[in-house]
Amino acid sequence: MNNLSQSISRRLALQTMLAAGAGTAMAGLPWSRAFAQEAVLNLADIGVGDPGNWNLFTEQSGYDVNLVAIGNAPSAVINVMLAGGGIQTFDGIHIVGGMQNPLAELGLIQPIDTSRLPNWSKNTFIQDYLQPGTPGHDYFYFNDQLYGIPTAFQGESVCYLPDATGETIDSFGAMFDPKYRGYVALEDSYANAGYKAAIYMKTAGLAEIDQPTNMTPSEINTVMNFLIEKKKEGQFRVLWSSYEQAVNLLANKEVYVLDGWEPMVLDVQARGLDCRYAVPKEGYMLWAMSGYITNNPNRSEERLAAIYQLFDFMMGPWYGARLSSMNGYLTNPQAAPFAQANPELFEEGEPARVAAAEENGRAKFSNGKYWQFRWPTEVHTLEAEWARFKAA
Amino acid sequence: MRRVLYLTPIVFMVVFAICPILIMVAISFWTRAGFSVVPAFVFDAYGEFFGGARTAVLTRSILTALLATALCLVVAYPVAYLLARRSRPGFVRVVLLLFTIPFLVNYIIRNFSWAYLLGRTGPINETLLALGLVGAPVDWLLFSTFSVYIGLVSSYMPFMVFPLWLVLAGIDQRLIDASSLLGATPLQTFLRVTLPLSLPGVFAAVIFGLVGILGESAVSLILGGAGYELMGNTIMSATNVLNYPLAAAMSTVTVGLMVLLLVVWYRVADIRTFLGQIMGRG
Repeated sequence: MNNLSQSISRRLALQTMLAAGAGTAMAGLPWSRAFAQEAVLNLADIGVGDPGNWNLFTEQSGYDVNLVAIGNAPSAVINVMLAGGGIQTFDGIHIVGGMQNPLAELGLIQPIDTSRLPNWSKNTFIQDYLQPGTPGHDYFYFNDQLYGIPTAFQGESVCYLPDATGETIDSFGAMFDPKYRGYVALEDSYANAGYKAAIYMKTAGLAEIDQPTNMTPSEINTVMNFLIEKKKEGQFRVLWSSYEQAVNLLANKEVYVLDGWEPMVLDVQARGLDCRYAVPKEGYMLWAMSGYITNNPNRSEERLAAIYQLFDFMMGPWYGARLSSMNGYLTNPQAAPFAQANPELFEEGEPARVAAAEENGRAKFSNGKYWQFRWPTEVHTLEAEWARFKAA
Repeated sequence: MRRVLYLTPIVFMVVFAICPILIMVAISFWTRAGFSVVPAFVFDAYGEFFGGARTAVLTRSILTALLATALCLVVAYPVAYLLARRSRPGFVRVVLLLFTIPFLVNYIIRNFSWAYLLGRTGPINETLLALGLVGAPVDWLLFSTFSVYIGLVSSYMPFMVFPLWLVLAGIDQRLIDASSLLGATPLQTFLRVTLPLSLPGVFAAVIFGLVGILGESAVSLILGGAGYELMGNTIMSATNVLNYPLAAAMSTVTVGLMVLLLVVWYRVADIRTFLGQIMGRG
């Protein structure tokens, strides 16, 4: 054997040993399962869709679920899907709905075949809240084609500390009430604070606004001028930008009124404070969680069937009950009866929380007037005007 | 082999620094088309930037960066001077080690810690109330210009201590002694010998501070209150609605300012003087 062949065979032997060693080592690591393509479904989620465990789904399907955190901002979703290779990496994404317009136009998601979702026909909320011709319908459809799978419904309001405010709050107007000057926090989001201000102004007769969650440029200008005026008066203590920050603002009594999400109320209550989610007389601002199937042309039919099975599971009773009890969301009509009938599958007190969330959610939707537009027609004007408000 | 060694950092810089910046500059001239961007050579994004409210953000960012850097320098220079010229080596090692601790703590957590300390119900206000020094919580401690500067100085001052300490420690003691022997007072020696010789380090420290603060977004977001916008924040806001040409235009202007600072530094205080001084070859 000459020197060259000796060296090659030594190199080959070393490479083989290293590869075998690395393979053995990786097989023992928990994350190696995430890369075993056929056993795990990769789901990008904004953080509210984690039920704690996926054991029931794994028992039913043979697939585990690898849940990966993703930002909820439109750019975060699109960047991950487009620039980050998300359509290859993720089988599905689970985010706040209404994003199918940019996602479908960019070819990042595929249309949904409801015949592959047995729980679709059992979900009467779809007939109740997503009728064609309503804004709820537009939250899941694009060009009359279904792209989103509804997993949870919610009505947006205002969090507050009744001990500090000394009264029950029943209006978005509390955010602008001089009584709470300096004790109000808004979300750093035109799609929440901006829309809620518009809903309040329209209802209170402060401005002529046709559709508060999809405004014209002049309407946007009017709302932002109002917000700037309030800002200069010292109405707002802070614009919050993360979930934990918002919870701490209430828990530390840094603010008494916070433009926020219902799960925050539950977290503040868990710290022993009386915190409530207002029932706004203007009507709730509605939104829903949506599952989207990524448009991966290389996906096998078997894998596509599995992701349909996962989203059907997420429209089902156990998953719905878990999301209801953890976040207070309205999920599907099967959730509450299922939790009641199968208490052994849940923690103590969960079935009651699920029933309460359903009752609460139905009330919100009966009192909901405006769906939150995630991608309004004048989104760039809205962003620029929001920047003007922040810079003022 | 030597050529490969020389080329490695150049290739690294070109691939990971120069190319991304060139792409950013190119995109700043592109146009939006639906949810995408298309190559073009137009100044729309610059018009949108300089024609809107965001110029106020740029002005604020520059002023904030200048003032915060000056504050950092006021704190960092005496600390570096004492460590370099007036302290025992063992003590210096401990203090410099302590100054590295902020680098080990996530900057988001560090800023949230400030928010907790400075809040209406935080330890500082609680102490002030308990001592009877104030009758009600002091509101301006948090979500104010004050808290933004506290966050910026605590974040960037440690970056400035190290170059200052390096350059001050590198000053030849014989020059100081000669000044004294010739009858200069300690203040005169400092003003006429130590300070001029430390200027390359001062410029290096100022660059570290200014460049960092100009690109800052977390401090203003967490401690700034109702919309204390800096350039980092408004650039992120533009990307949130996929307005990449605008985000690229604002980034280009910001990077351009930083490059300008580097050019000034290079002209005023040649980097080789700084490096030579700290390596004992001044």
